[in-house]
Amino acid sequence: MEFLKKGIYLVLFCNFFLGCSDPEISDTTLDGELIFDPSIYDPATYLVSKSKPSPKSYELDKPVFIACHGYSASTFEWDEFKTWANGDTSYFISQVLLGGHGRSYEDFKNATWKDWLIPIKTEYEGLISAGYTNINFVGSSTSCALITELISEGYFMGKLPPNNFFYIDPIVIPSNKTLSLVGVVGPMLGYAEVDNNKDEDLYWYHFRPQETLQELNKLIILVRKNLEAGIELPKESKMKVYKSIKDGSADPVSAVLLYKGVKTSGNQKIEVEMVNSKLHVFTRLALRGNLSNLDILNQLKCFTELISKSK
Amino acid sequence: MLRILLLGLFFLSCNLNSFAQSISAGTRFQKSIGFYWENGISVEISDSSILKGRLIFGCHYVSSRFGTAINSNAIKQDQIFASLGYKWRSNKIFQPITKVNIGYFKADYEIEIFDVLPNSSLLISPELGIKINYPKKLSYKLSLGYNIINGNGIKNPGTLYPVFYQNTILWNF
Repeated sequence: MEFLKKGIYLVLFCNFFLGCSDPEISDTTLDGELIFDPSIYDPATYLVSKSKPSPKSYELDKPVFIACHGYSASTFEWDEFKTWANGDTSYFISQVLLGGHGRSYEDFKNATWKDWLIPIKTEYEGLISAGYTNINFVGSSTSCALITELISEGYFMGKLPPNNFFYIDPIVIPSNKTLSLVGVVGPMLGYAEVDNNKDEDLYWYHFRPQETLQELNKLIILVRKNLEAGIELPKESKMKVYKSIKDGSADPVSAVLLYKGVKTSGNQKIEVEMVNSKLHVFTRLALRGNLSNLDILNQLKCFTELISKSK
Repeated sequence: MLRILLLGLFFLSCNLNSFAQSISAGTRFQKSIGFYWENGISVEISDSSILKGRLIFGCHYVSSRFGTAINSNAIKQDQIFASLGYKWRSNKIFQPITKVNIGYFKADYEIEIFDVLPNSSLLISPELGIKINYPKKLSYKLSLGYNIINGNGIKNPGTLYPVFYQNTILWNF
């Protein structure tokens, strides 16, 4: 009995001070060393700055969407937007892979939220250099927090302002409040396992290193504090937030904080739509089970509106 | 629920002299871990005829209106709750705090479009900490609490965080 007691203390001690060891990673998931995001091998298929670095004059004012995915996801999250576009040449879609994402578990673990941000800036700057004038950001979940941080830190000052910022289920407050305790609980756990289905495991990390959860927590606390102080959009830019009312990942109250915290340069309120959905990132329907007609309608309505608002 | 608590507080304050042996009142500074400061007031009462004065009844009101929401875009939210605690180590300078709070939480999202979101909840939280009675007329309390009902934004308000710490400065009448 005494031996068992000592053993338990030893495990607790090791977990607390040394952290848990890494999970057993399968090469059939995005976490492994075999499956990478396809945009890494073939950037021209995903990034307009690579596929059309020298646009024709009639293409310069066509809307370009910089579509950014959420924490632990990959470019797949915006594939349906491109599929839905069905080759429509009146606008372009750039699918950005966040830094540290779409690679191995170790790469993900070692990246900070500032690393996640870099490819968004790179693509934006690439499009400006190419001469595009109608740039629109469309972010889902954590990328909305990253884009908000860019606005807040004045990144767009002195640059061509984006036409629109569209946010799909942005996160400022997590639904699972355990994230607020990740600084204490994280080192003890080492990582969190996600209940993805087998196909989702190809496009979302199955394991979330506690280091990345700490980064996520840091980012959203920073964004919340900046929203409390007030954030002004770049001149002429507009913002619309679409938020599922029953979102198990990004608390719907995040929309309240954005509504209260962001103003246009003319001191006007931003637009918010509370979407009757139970999905997190309701624009991504692929690989989900039990979809309703309403889910399909919500996606269609949103995609249609993104295009109409950007023109 | 809010009305019952306010009525209770009113009744107690009107009848303090008739049955209370020990009354203290002061300010409470409360911070949810990873979220807002919510500050307000605390009143605590004990009576020597009940468990030799070891049972402490308290009424507390804290709000982000007096914390993070001052001059900011933070959400205005209020918590009013009663507490029942047990006094250990009577007449000592350092006393452990063990108590349970029960009350009501409400957040104000201000515009109609957010009426679809839950904005109120029952509050239940155990609290543990330490009370320092020094000098004689003053007490300082530092404790950690856990909201058993906390918000996921679907059934309960998303701005009700689980773990909080608080410090209270009380004047003993």
